[in-house]
Amino acid sequence: MPILTTLIFLPLLGAIGLLCLPDSARPVFRWVTLVLCALHLALSSWLWLSFDKQLIGYQFTETFDWITLTLGQFGVISIDYALGVDGLSLPMVWLTSLVMLVGAVSSFEIKTKEKAYFSLYLLLTGTVVGCFVALDLFLFFLFFEFMLLPMYFLVGLWGGPRREYASLKFFLYTLAGSVFILLVMIALYLSAVDPAETALSVGLVKDRAMITDQVLDQVHLAISQLQVDPAQLVHTFDLRYLSDPANYVPESLLSTMAGHEIFGMSARLLAFALLFIGFAVKLPMVPLHTWLPDAHVEAPTPISVVLAGILLKIGGYGFFRIAYELFPDGAVYFAAWIAGLGVLSIVYGAFNALSQNDLKRMIAYSSVSHMGFVLLGLAALTPEGANAAIYQLFSHGILSPMLFLVAGVIYERTHDRSIDGYRGLATPMPSYAAWTAVAFFASLGLPGFSGFIGEFFSLMGAFNSTYVPVWMVVAGGFGLVLGAGYFLWTFQRVFLGKTWTMHDTSVLTDLTFREKAMLVPLGLLSLAFGILPGTLFSITEGYVMEFLKKF
Amino acid sequence: MLSIISLSIFGIVNLFLGFLKSRRILLPATLLFLIVALILNSMDWNQQALYFGDMLRVNNVFVNFAGIVLITALLIVGISRHFGNDEEHTHPAEYYAILLFSVTGALMMIGFENLIMLFVGVEVLSVAMYVLTGTDKRNIRSNEAALKYFLMGSFATGLLLFGVAMVYGATGSFKLGGIASYVQMASMYGAVSPLLYVGLLFLFIGMLFKVSAAPFHFWTPDVYEGAPTIFTAFMSTVVKTAGFAAFYKIASTAFAGVYGFWAQSLAVMAVLTLLIGNITAAYQGSFKRMMAYSSISHAGYLLLAVVAKVPSSQSAILFYSLSYSLATVAAFGVLMAVSESRQFEGRGDDRYEAFNGLAKTNPLLAFVLTVSMLSLAGIPLTAGFWGKFFIFSAAVQANLTSLLVIAVLMSCVGIYYYFRVIIAMYLKPAEGEGISVSAGFTLTLVLTTVLTLLLGVFPDVVKNIF
Repeated sequence: MPILTTLIFLPLLGAIGLLCLPDSARPVFRWVTLVLCALHLALSSWLWLSFDKQLIGYQFTETFDWITLTLGQFGVISIDYALGVDGLSLPMVWLTSLVMLVGAVSSFEIKTKEKAYFSLYLLLTGTVVGCFVALDLFLFFLFFEFMLLPMYFLVGLWGGPRREYASLKFFLYTLAGSVFILLVMIALYLSAVDPAETALSVGLVKDRAMITDQVLDQVHLAISQLQVDPAQLVHTFDLRYLSDPANYVPESLLSTMAGHEIFGMSARLLAFALLFIGFAVKLPMVPLHTWLPDAHVEAPTPISVVLAGILLKIGGYGFFRIAYELFPDGAVYFAAWIAGLGVLSIVYGAFNALSQNDLKRMIAYSSVSHMGFVLLGLAALTPEGANAAIYQLFSHGILSPMLFLVAGVIYERTHDRSIDGYRGLATPMPSYAAWTAVAFFASLGLPGFSGFIGEFFSLMGAFNSTYVPVWMVVAGGFGLVLGAGYFLWTFQRVFLGKTWTMHDTSVLTDLTFREKAMLVPLGLLSLAFGILPGTLFSITEGYVMEFLKKF
Repeated sequence: MLSIISLSIFGIVNLFLGFLKSRRILLPATLLFLIVALILNSMDWNQQALYFGDMLRVNNVFVNFAGIVLITALLIVGISRHFGNDEEHTHPAEYYAILLFSVTGALMMIGFENLIMLFVGVEVLSVAMYVLTGTDKRNIRSNEAALKYFLMGSFATGLLLFGVAMVYGATGSFKLGGIASYVQMASMYGAVSPLLYVGLLFLFIGMLFKVSAAPFHFWTPDVYEGAPTIFTAFMSTVVKTAGFAAFYKIASTAFAGVYGFWAQSLAVMAVLTLLIGNITAAYQGSFKRMMAYSSISHAGYLLLAVVAKVPSSQSAILFYSLSYSLATVAAFGVLMAVSESRQFEGRGDDRYEAFNGLAKTNPLLAFVLTVSMLSLAGIPLTAGFWGKFFIFSAAVQANLTSLLVIAVLMSCVGIYYYFRVIIAMYLKPAEGEGISVSAGFTLTLVLTTVLTLLLGVFPDVVKNIF
């Protein structure tokens, strides 16, 4: 069974199935979604277990020809439906299943237009998984953009009072980022070729099966000496080929050899910068982050969970998979800047979080701050840093849903998220206080929880790096202190002291079973990954070693 | 070539059909005529030929452009609904006949090989459009639009004719080939007559007016808004496709030798068109007026491909025209249905507010319009995405980086105004009753949507023909 295709199309078919159900089946929609998400998690857990950690490169690959466009004198573009996972994408796929399941449980609180909601939710699941497993840049881009539509409607239709503004802002920001990616994509396919298909089209070999490394070397040589007729070149979007400089046509725009310049800047560096901006919007990185707090505040709880838990991860994933793998020269050139922006995100996000009165807004800024560690670890280009960046993505994917669920619990009871609206909630809601404490302490980087590993190793990686100045690492460390500050201060204001609230205290009931069913597993997972970081590192290590060879 | 002859005859036949008692026969008859023309057109595939004393060239490019124009005309006739039920004031036979004549004009513009033929084509198309713009006789705006279009349009055709005369004066030829060889020789020896430059600019101005590119776009919003919606749809699709076919042909063949001269000024106009079209569209309160500015902005993207003038430009223009025409017909079709059933200040309501809650009252119409807007905005899995993709590819190949940056930023602005109507349909509460539309009308709209999505998923099917 093609497992990756199943992971993408199971939710998509589910979405279509839901649309076909009659409105009278209203109570079933949420259960169908829940069961599908549980099945999804089971499948991706199976994927995790059968993943071979020793192998380098992509596993479970599936490749089909999809679009072949002839461009006359300019050769052919071939776009493939190519899927696969490696040490980077596997944790992200599993995380997607997990967060989507938690979100599906949380979605039980949606009481209006359920059919539309749950179909869009499943559509979102499928497209997000597609993003993480696509090996063809075009396919990735397709999922990347298409994901915006369900998200737009999920925030726009079920959101808070300023939902129109927030959803449109989210859409415009991300789309503005992705058109930059589109530009680079066009330049990339014009520059790079698929050596295997080109070998077939020039008649070097008769059959795909006869292609060996020697044949590929022969093609590379012929291309580098401009012996191939441009009309016979097969241009590609396949990331496996795009990441090899030998596949770039000499004199093409993005060839490493040609050194083209645009606006007095090297074309490759410019391309890296555009990709970086595109993904930085999604991550988000200061100063491109302003859509995030608005989107979070207006989104319903399950959508906040998904947005923070997975959608932000696509930004980080894009850095690794596309910006860094395809343009290692750009990554090295801009390393100090990227680290600087990472530190800026950490500190600026933390200061902002400190000053918020809206619980969700505070958590949104804490996300900005935590994503800064990803940038810092990535910019270091050391094994510790890169591993930690992936780890931080994963850990934040577990912890931020928890934080938003915590905010959702109180919002559902009182429809008020202001921090100064409550005091001493620990007395009427003891287990809520306990699990909030777990979420907060894990997020602020208490050793023993996953948050600590990510933050600690990215600082360590940056410290060992030759690209990152030491003062930046120190400033990043200061961000950790600020993080402890805003989490502890919020906890103290909301939960400790004498019970007081402007609302009717009778609504302050403790966690329900459904809420516990979401918070407890996430808390335990964070603890498990904090105590046994090796479970994740053993998967990412192999990928990171290969990844760093490029630099 | 047979398609041009047959369409002219069919137009006359249509006028006579108007004498029949039943008006119901007109719509199916016109559809049949267009389908016959489409079949005749496809018979010209792979036939390289010159007709009428080298006035007209039929080749695959002609067949492709003519195919797009005919398909668009078919779809527009499909949503025409006999032009309303007002027996006294509408004359469907004449309208359908004029429609067919204007398609004939469009085909002449696509296939011309001689500047005289270009002029005749432009006039046949334009005069037909002046008449159609004013067909809503008792609407003051329609009258205003027709007069405005006529005055400014005839001025532009005058310039075009003047340009043709000057080019003839410089080169001694009306034929594309003759002009091209003069331009090549003269530019090689550095002795291009200044008359040619002036003539070329005048010719270009005439053409740019027809495709409503800035700064010759001022007629567009008023005329689009005043004209009956069905003819606005025709104007913004058929006229634009034919205009760009003619424009690219003349620029890339006859004046290829002085590319350096016209590329600069055209690049400036492309930027202006993109900026004015997109930014002004964002400020409109009326959906119809927004579509007018959006059509200006799409002219800007198409100009980008003309400026690039790489071998792939032509197929990019073809694909873009097709995707743009499909989406535009769908958008105007839904607008027609909505504005007829919802009144504002005594006439059809074409503001954004008219679409409020359409997703609840008419989910199918809302879906059709959503796909059309997404396609115009260039979201993946719609035809419009590939249109933009090919245009941008052509621009990257020609190293037009600064133009490209502006085009990309403007396409983000486009999202904003295209999404306003989606917001109105899905996020605003419903006002008024559901709209009832006929089966044929719905079928045509669904067809455009299906084609838009199919082209979005499998662009290679069509692109490999272009």
